[in-house]
Amino acid sequence: MVDAAVLTQIDDLQSRYMRTLDRRAMDDWAACFDGQGSYVCIARENEEQDLALAIMMDDNSERIRDRVTYVTKIWVGVFEDYTTRHFVQRIECRQLQPALFLVESNFMVAYTTSRGRSEMLVAGVYKDEIVLGEGGAAFRSKRAILDTTVTPRYLVYPV
Amino acid sequence: MLARNGDVSTLRWPSKFNEVPKDVFNREDVYRLELERIFYGPEWHMLAHRSEIAKAGDFKTATIGQAPVLIVHGDDGEIRVFANSCTHRATQLKTCARGNGKEIECPYHRWLFNNQGDLIGAPGMREFKQGFRREDYALRKLRTAEFCGIVFATFSDDAPAFDDYLGETRPFIAKAVGGDGRLKLLGYQKVSFASNWKAYADNEGYHGPLLHTAFQMLKWSTSNGAQFMTSHAHKVNHIELGQLPDFGPLQDSSVIEGRDPKLVPVNLIISLFPLSLVIHNLDVINLRYAFPVSPHETEVHYAYFAHEDDDEALVRHRIRQGSNLQGPSGFISLEDGAVFNRIHTGSHTAGNAEFQKGVTGPGPIATPFNLGKGDEAGNLIRWEHYRQAMGFERG
Ligand code: FES
Ligand SMILES: [Fe+2]
Repeated sequence: MVDAAVLTQIDDLQSRYMRTLDRRAMDDWAACFDGQGSYVCIARENEEQDLALAIMMDDNSERIRDRVTYVTKIWVGVFEDYTTRHFVQRIECRQLQPALFLVESNFMVAYTTSRGRSEMLVAGVYKDEIVLGEGGAAFRSKRAILDTTVTPRYLVYPV
Repeated sequence: MLARNGDVSTLRWPSKFNEVPKDVFNREDVYRLELERIFYGPEWHMLAHRSEIAKAGDFKTATIGQAPVLIVHGDDGEIRVFANSCTHRATQLKTCARGNGKEIECPYHRWLFNNQGDLIGAPGMREFKQGFRREDYALRKLRTAEFCGIVFATFSDDAPAFDDYLGETRPFIAKAVGGDGRLKLLGYQKVSFASNWKAYADNEGYHGPLLHTAFQMLKWSTSNGAQFMTSHAHKVNHIELGQLPDFGPLQDSSVIEGRDPKLVPVNLIISLFPLSLVIHNLDVINLRYAFPVSPHETEVHYAYFAHEDDDEALVRHRIRQGSNLQGPSGFISLEDGAVFNRIHTGSHTAGNAEFQKGVTGPGPIATPFNLGKGDEAGNLIRWEHYRQAMGFERG
């Protein structure tokens, strides 16, 4: 049984993660990861067949910073923007080490185009390793595993 | 023929060779005729690489036009392509993307087929219509051919001989898949573009450095390269990337390095009519299978590979590079997905789409045709092939 105070810290981190993405605060998104953090977004099809190829693979903190650069500098002005709304629900939390937790959460992300139509962007599960430190909780590793193997159009932002 | 499809005969193809009627991107009747004339007609379609179904009994599902097909690695080692539909009452046989089985059983009335497609049993066969012969109910087999392990098929008996169809693209395809096609599957990315299949296939060299900001950063616009069109309306785009420049704003540029010791960094794209793409981009080896879902939607499955001779570090590098450069969120490909839906929406207006860059004369372009690496004119050869296949009259 994981302590309620720990769960609060973990849930606060997940809320911060959703908030930063939905508000397009990309630097704050990167700050949800700890110094050794990694972010991977991969189709369930690959994950289940031990195929490592992903849709986004930021396997170190420089790569996470570079994703911020793509979104905020390199791709600017070439894509029709869309808004997202993340919905995340924790379904499991296990303690791996004194300050390291394995957390699984279901997610759905809705997106809305500039025409004002909303649809589901992706659904899936996060498998996260979360560290608790001085400054609160941070992702050591975040894997967004997409049930949605066929994603619509293009994915500008991480999920 | 055209009358059968209602008002397709009302489509007016412009007399100028650099113009394409926007109507062809969104008319339902045109789309139905495309399924018949192109997707079920005399063209070949890329469906799989042998490494995706490496063992006997392995299978993969795919789509040609809107027809579901099943690619099976037979017990005898031969790869066959079947209509993914029971010969009894048409039930789809396999639903998952890939799998393995000793035989193929239809769930509805339990007809059983072996991995070579033969019907081996059907419950209650004694009460079947007189004269029923098992041999007549084997799975419907498509004409199938293989090059460097890449499996192609066609529903049509009139499709040209496979070697002629690939023609001059052959050495480039071989180069793209590591020379011999001994590949190892790394995984998939799948995306649905909100666009007609022809807009997806109409990508060219002109937009490259203009739409893709990363191309400027990588200085790909200034590399040495050539493009040519074959007589079967295929396009080969071959750009040697040479010395890779300094990577500007990126903190970790290892992801865009060329590390394959056997190859100078290259951007090699073989675009086969109608919808197949073979790509070797830096160290990414990529087959792109595509099919139309409707006139307004195109689904693309990107399959990524390593070469069997790669060491672990190179495999890891190819995985990182494929996962970051290409696909729905790719550093150098996101912009394509973001423009297809706009082309599609924009095409719901009157008139013609016009090609300009690299167009030299008023008449049809002869093949093989060499075009500048920043030109769009080569696509007019595809469009001429399309027009003739569809039977649209000019003028
Ligand atoms: S439809 Fe397949 S067995 Fe009847
Ligand atoms: Fe492009």
